[in-house]
Amino acid sequence: MPADDKTPADIATAAREALVRVVRGAAAYHLNACVRCGLCGESCHIYRADPTPENLPAAKAAKVASHYRRYCTLVGRYLPRLVGARDFTSAALEELVEAVYGRCTGCGRCGLHCSIGLDVAAIIRAGRHVLASIGMVPDGLQRTVSNQLETGNQMAIPRDELLSTAEWLSEDLKLERGDEAARVYVDQPGQRILYLVNPREVKFFPLSLMAAAGVFHAAGERWTMSSKFYDVTNYGFYSGDDDAARELTRRVMEEARALGVQEVILSECGHGFRSFRWEGPNWLGQEYPLPVRSVLELLEEYLAAGRIKVDPAKNSARVTLHDPCNLVRWGGVSEPQRRVLHQVVQDFVEMTPNRQDNFCCGGGGGMLSMSEYGDRRVASGATKAEQIRATGASIVATPCHNCADQLLELSKRYKLGVEIQAVVELVYSALL
Amino acid sequence: MDPWLSVSIRLVALLSSAWAAVALTVQVLWTRGSGRRDYSRPAGSPWRAVWYSFTTGMMPARKESARLHAAEFALGLVLHVGVLTCLLGLGLLVASPTTGIRVLAVLRIPAAVALLAGICLLLRRAISPVLRRLSTPDDYLAILATCGLLACCAFLPVDSRGQLVRLVYFTALLVYLPLGKLRHAVFFFVSRGNYARRLGYRGVYPPARAATE
Ligand code: SF4
Ligand code: SF4
Repeated sequence: MPADDKTPADIATAAREALVRVVRGAAAYHLNACVRCGLCGESCHIYRADPTPENLPAAKAAKVASHYRRYCTLVGRYLPRLVGARDFTSAALEELVEAVYGRCTGCGRCGLHCSIGLDVAAIIRAGRHVLASIGMVPDGLQRTVSNQLETGNQMAIPRDELLSTAEWLSEDLKLERGDEAARVYVDQPGQRILYLVNPREVKFFPLSLMAAAGVFHAAGERWTMSSKFYDVTNYGFYSGDDDAARELTRRVMEEARALGVQEVILSECGHGFRSFRWEGPNWLGQEYPLPVRSVLELLEEYLAAGRIKVDPAKNSARVTLHDPCNLVRWGGVSEPQRRVLHQVVQDFVEMTPNRQDNFCCGGGGGMLSMSEYGDRRVASGATKAEQIRATGASIVATPCHNCADQLLELSKRYKLGVEIQAVVELVYSALL
Repeated sequence: MDPWLSVSIRLVALLSSAWAAVALTVQVLWTRGSGRRDYSRPAGSPWRAVWYSFTTGMMPARKESARLHAAEFALGLVLHVGVLTCLLGLGLLVASPTTGIRVLAVLRIPAAVALLAGICLLLRRAISPVLRRLSTPDDYLAILATCGLLACCAFLPVDSRGQLVRLVYFTALLVYLPLGKLRHAVFFFVSRGNYARRLGYRGVYPPARAATE
């Protein structure tokens, strides 16, 4: 919520300035293009689950557009009622919070199918930026951003906890692989790659981190994590706080330089990939000095080069694949995971639709951090649940730990009885 | 038509065209700002993506909104083709009245068909509770204004009074064009192109495979 010492007029001024700053060169194109034809509803998983007018993608975009028109167009300035232009009043700002944080994950599917072909998610992101600039990010999401800025990771995991997790995972891995060199490397300078993970892997899904370490070992990779900045996520991206997003990116790239690595590899995380691979250089305003890739691309490379040997018979259950929006629709990584899965599982089946046309699972956009929208989040996963059920798969490969959390919940709520696994876990299980 | 009146109204129509062109250009330049250079390493071709987006990407097979709303898609197509041809016909009337009159005479039936499509879309907007909630007065004004244009082209006689009314209407429409919703005539291209370029740069567009394979 906005700082108490600010008057409503101060807040409106700050919001207006942020709006004008953020829309040019991006959302303004799209704000001028929507014809409010209303044909985008069925493309949105939230509208499909609850087809109320407020959930229509265009209605969410219209909340931002009403302010854009008020402050950035001639008619909106002088005849606001004609074009539905609104001032940044307290009530309007509250409605904006609900629309851009509570009813949209920024998944971008509606934009792909919009009759005009405009980027609704860019409009929503502009709305989030405005709200972030006046301190109106929902508490849970803001807390996650603050955790990242203050402690270096979104879950505020102390350094000692990371080190002890790395230690016991290394012990287990040594036993499994029968080699002293099989371990989780932390703070090792001069390695080839810096590996970033989702802190959930450290806290809740250590097998995922262990699987990655096992595959790196099998491939003879030289790699390390950083105990200071190992978090692949970037909640500043979700909250709309570009300053926070920039700082989180800067720290990691600085750490990569300090450790002297040649490449940054991102573990399976949709928005983390999008943030570091695509948005990061633009937040920093400069090109990266070294490549940043998804671990999926690396896994494909290992298989193609014969650096790891696998037997798909070791994964005999039917597997389907969930396409995280930020990795696939926004990130362009759709094929490496498929080529990998075709080699490491015996019975792979696609969901329909898939790839860039996939449905959001409902857990994106920072939804998992905003408990106030929890019921809507789970309800909005109904389309995804039906997609999964139709495949008859018993394992859903999910190259995103955010999506994994949501899919676990969907599996329980919709009685899907599926197991959720990262792609690297399936690769590890198939190792010879 | 009185030659003096003909020249005057055509001049005013030209001025309003210039206004629309300048105002829309200023808007596009303002929305662009100083542009945003992309510092990330490209993974695909923006221009191939733009080509895809304005061709295959617009087809119902690839566009869910068109697939699921075939009637609205068809009505929208007929309306837009009708409006575009009528605008071209009226442009010709300004540039060369004799050719313009001949072309507009041919356009009567297409204009009437497009008008029918426009009326259907107007009714849809007025009847659907979801669309009513979404619409601003400008949405109604825009469709009424285009229907008016089509009605002029479909039903006015091809005599001098008919020409005069057509040209006055054309002029007024051009004045309104950059101010309200009708500016999507330009922003459709700007917005779709911008989005497609970004997706192309990232290797999302054109899609590697159809999403249902
Ligand atoms: S389909 Fe596109 S143009 Fe139509 S209402 Fe939705 S966002 Fe706006
Ligand atoms: S971006 Fe995704 S969640 Fe947001 S309105 Fe569009 S389809 Fe719905």
